[in-house]
Amino acid sequence: MPPAERKDPGRKWAIALAVLVHLIFAAVLVFGVNWQTKEASPVMAELWSSVSAPAPKVVPKPEPEPVTRPEPKPQPKPVPKLEQPKPVKADIELKDKEKEKEKKRKEEEKKKAEAEKKKAEAEKKLKEQALKVQHAMLEAEQITLNKQREAAEAARQQAAAQAASQRLMNDAIGRISSHIRRFIVMPPDIVGNPQAEFEVSLIPTGEVLNVKLTRSSGNPAYDNAVERAIRKASPLPLPTDPSLIGRFRELKLKFRPNE
Amino acid sequence: MNVTQDLSFLSLITNASIVVQLVLLILLLASGLSWYFIFGKMFAIRAAIREADNFENDFWSGSDINNLYQRSNSGRTPVVGMEKIFEAGYREFLKLKRQGRMDISVVMEGTRRAMRAACQRELDALERHLAFLASVGSVSPYIGLFGTVWGIMNAFRGLSNVVQATLAHVAPGIAEALVATAMGLFAAIPAVLAYNSYSHDVDRLATRYDSFMEEFSNILQRQPNP
Repeated sequence: MPPAERKDPGRKWAIALAVLVHLIFAAVLVFGVNWQTKEASPVMAELWSSVSAPAPKVVPKPEPEPVTRPEPKPQPKPVPKLEQPKPVKADIELKDKEKEKEKKRKEEEKKKAEAEKKKAEAEKKLKEQALKVQHAMLEAEQITLNKQREAAEAARQQAAAQAASQRLMNDAIGRISSHIRRFIVMPPDIVGNPQAEFEVSLIPTGEVLNVKLTRSSGNPAYDNAVERAIRKASPLPLPTDPSLIGRFRELKLKFRPNE
Repeated sequence: MNVTQDLSFLSLITNASIVVQLVLLILLLASGLSWYFIFGKMFAIRAAIREADNFENDFWSGSDINNLYQRSNSGRTPVVGMEKIFEAGYREFLKLKRQGRMDISVVMEGTRRAMRAACQRELDALERHLAFLASVGSVSPYIGLFGTVWGIMNAFRGLSNVVQATLAHVAPGIAEALVATAMGLFAAIPAVLAYNSYSHDVDRLATRYDSFMEEFSNILQRQPNP
């Protein structure tokens, strides 16, 4: 006689206690653990100084190395072989004609013997000349290769310089927006993490001329807070590099409440 | 950095990715069920131990076996545990005796089989859901770890789009990912503790039932014909 499904004793108590344990756990997590990120701002400042200084020096070095090696090797081999034969033939024809004219002027007796000697000499000369031509070709080849290499290196350096300046730009913009962010007084009720975009006109000393909201975050209180912060943050910390300042007349800045 | 950004626990959960939220939900369900079983088993095993104590007291206090049988057979209170084994064994013993002219060893064998079956049923009822506790204890840390790994992956992936990496970019992601591990451990630790202690308790009850069965069959074997 198999018994019917028996009821565990104290079933309701078990449910109630299980719920109670979870409520206690949740309460401990919600109230007991106060995670706050107030301490994050000093950390941020430290990171700025360390990131911005070494960045431009480090970047250009690693880039050129991988590119230089592969280029020169494949080119020199095929080129000289192709171009060798043509100029040599032309020289041969010229020399032949000159030698023949000289032979006609001189006596006919010596024709055969001299002709043979001269032919031999001419052949020697021709060979020497051909060698010279070959050397010249090789030298020209090397010069063009060198030029190509120099051009490639220059291009690489330019690219590296551009990347470095781009990095400097980004660093500078990041520094400016973090400087501004210090002045933002957060409105209390922000939902989510909306982004506000501003266009800021500056004069070269960093003073703010004009602030224009280009894309609202959807929260006018936050937009206003950021705009006020931008004005209050004037003058903005522009980079000291004079070549960059020209690019800092019009700035596009983006802000999020949680960044 | 703005000052109002407190990482409150609720915002951690609501900002987490869907996978992490799913993991948290699974772990919450597992934890809830396992706590329910922890308390339910605690009450059941305590009740079984108490019942065994009471019944052994009654049984060895010298009262008549027939009286005990009448009391448990009256159906006033549900019969569980050791009393159930006693009842099943004695009922089988009486039935076999009533058939008459049977060898005592055959009668005892039938009685013992009946008691063995009742004992198995009692132990099975006690051991029910203990396997669930064991698997929650062993698996939920891994589920939590999965949620954490996923959350940290997302945190770092978000980091790659940022020009200047700061702690503040990674910290919320990692914190919300670690909540999953905390949840997994919260589910696992009590489940493992409860499983170990309860399976030990059930084992002890099983040996008590076994020895009771042996002693009771000795007593029945000495019983004169009714």
